[in-house]
Amino acid sequence: MHFAWNAEQQSFRSTVRAFLSAHLPVDWESLAHGPASEAQSSFSKRFCGQLAEAGLLVPHWPKRWGGRDAGAWTAFILAEEMWEAGEPRGGQYMNVNWIGPTLMRFGSEEQQARYIPPMARGATIWCQGFSEPEAGSDLASLRTRAEKQGSSYRINGQKIWTSYAQHADTCFLLARTSPGRDGISVFLVPMDTPGIIVREIPSLIGEGDLHEVFWDNVEVPGSALLGAEGQAWEIARAALSLERVGIPRFALATKMLHRAVAMLERSGRFGHGAIEQAAKARAACEAARFYSYSIVDQREHGIPTGPEASAARFATVMAERAVHEFVVEHVPEALSGGEAMLLAHHQRAIVAGVASGAAEIQLNLIATDLLKLPREPR
Amino acid sequence: MDFRLTADQSALVEAIDKLAGQFEAKPTEFRGFALPGGALDKELEDGQYFDIAQVPELGAVCAAMAVERLARLPCATEVALSMLVRPQLAGEWPRPLAVVENGRPGRFVATAGTILLIEGEDIRVVRTAAGDTEPVDSLFAYPMGRWKGRAEISPLSGERSANVRKWLRIALAAEASGLLQAALASAVDHLTQRKQFGRPLGSFQALRHRMAECAVLAGGVRWLALKAADTAEPGDAALAAMHAQESATRIVYDVHQMLGAMGMTLEHPLHLWTYRLKALLSELGGRGGQALAVAAECFAGKDRITAVPWAARGPAPQ
Repeated sequence: MHFAWNAEQQSFRSTVRAFLSAHLPVDWESLAHGPASEAQSSFSKRFCGQLAEAGLLVPHWPKRWGGRDAGAWTAFILAEEMWEAGEPRGGQYMNVNWIGPTLMRFGSEEQQARYIPPMARGATIWCQGFSEPEAGSDLASLRTRAEKQGSSYRINGQKIWTSYAQHADTCFLLARTSPGRDGISVFLVPMDTPGIIVREIPSLIGEGDLHEVFWDNVEVPGSALLGAEGQAWEIARAALSLERVGIPRFALATKMLHRAVAMLERSGRFGHGAIEQAAKARAACEAARFYSYSIVDQREHGIPTGPEASAARFATVMAERAVHEFVVEHVPEALSGGEAMLLAHHQRAIVAGVASGAAEIQLNLIATDLLKLPREPR
Repeated sequence: MDFRLTADQSALVEAIDKLAGQFEAKPTEFRGFALPGGALDKELEDGQYFDIAQVPELGAVCAAMAVERLARLPCATEVALSMLVRPQLAGEWPRPLAVVENGRPGRFVATAGTILLIEGEDIRVVRTAAGDTEPVDSLFAYPMGRWKGRAEISPLSGERSANVRKWLRIALAAEASGLLQAALASAVDHLTQRKQFGRPLGSFQALRHRMAECAVLAGGVRWLALKAADTAEPGDAALAAMHAQESATRIVYDVHQMLGAMGMTLEHPLHLWTYRLKALLSELGGRGGQALAVAAECFAGKDRITAVPWAARGPAPQ
């Protein structure tokens, strides 16, 4: 067991940093004000294409799909550097982390040939149609339905909180084909299909992040179904397990904590209360980092990840909370026209316990699967 | 980064686990504040386990794992300082080791062969002589003692003192990690067995979520302790001790709430872990002390991540 980066890991990180230095504009930080904003989305398309050309978009994917079969550490180092730099890939991080790998596992040859190459080129944006007004944490109660009509499906319903919906080319959609949890199916739907209406929801977390998406008699061919009818639960579980330790939020949180502390030090305001709070937040970030690394290490060595992945996610939520609360208390100007990156971090940090599923669901899993406490009655 | 254990490390962890297995149970009739671990101490001496940090194939990270495992036992044995701090002292120093901080009673002081006297910034290392120490009655679940002797020697140099302090922090975090795991396991047992309103307490979400948050904190303490033992970086040591004391403060309170009145008795073993954790909370300056160390070692431009624009960032982290 050792905690130092090996030569290959260090060299890969240097390569990614050199790429970022060469390709991010000098005013990047003022641009990085929301991963789904107009400005960043158009930048991200160009940037992801450049990443792909440099072999840095999907190095962990199989050779067949444009990768080089690099391991989990490579994927995570890449993710850390991107997130710490303000995620210049925008919404395309989802393709890289889980949509691509999920299609490789469950997609038909036709679906793979159609959707994976554009992802590997950095040329396409996806959105995730999971949550509904009446189905958040209780995802299995979703109501959007896909009715079979001959060889096609007709989709009716509503999705909500959908990130990147305005810019997305394709939706990874969950819809009901029959009653019950086993009646949910996944559809891959081009967003320009007639009947899809996207409306932005103004929010605290930046331009273009939240949307509602209405599905009004949207007709898709049978070939839009991913896997089999009723397989969505299995597919979504596989996808979400990749996402649980997906975004290395602790990387940007740590960087922003240091920046806030440096600002306080320069102005002589880093006193007792702030020192103790900053140290606690720094420790929380480091705990989240190594919790996450422990999951990455398991992936790297082919060890199945257990409930520790939920614990890693929750440790990350704690770290994001500690840092953004530190900034709000000690550098409040960040929310009032201060430094753009501190504001951007605040907007990302406040969703840490909400995006990709309420963190309380992870606490349930930790209680049952890690601590082995008796289950709640249903 | 590679968190797999080598064959040698796995063998050591298994051996310690097997040894610990013999000391898992609290004697049924025991009602004291601290359960002495004399028999375990002898086994560890005989097996030369106190020297594992110096074995190149094992290293301090293995010693930290041993400290953690043995802290999960109900008995209190002086393991952490012997395994992690003693190798850092020049010369031969008899164990057990103890720390006396600013004249206050300390863990294992009454039986210590060597005492680290901390007075403000100074650390002196002294060999105890007859009459130098006396036991003190205490709620803490360690045998506590007072130093009565006089140390007419000069303190360690600044550099050596900083090194000792660093390893004291690592030892504290490793010990706390084991204690936290054991305290949580004890609470899980209670929540599984104890029924109210017709169902186990552990099936109530209000308690499940609190316990789950505690488990996440305890797991973080473990990773930071192991990392600090491996890197021996002062910043890592400060972060590990900070997270240990911060997490322990919350977890000790929460697990006692889980146990209700049963946790207040000397019959139930919970206090054998929580009242060791409470003894650790004040050490090395408490959270305020760790915070100053974190500020000095991790902030103030020392860390890799600084306030410079991203494009001018430094080299890859080591």
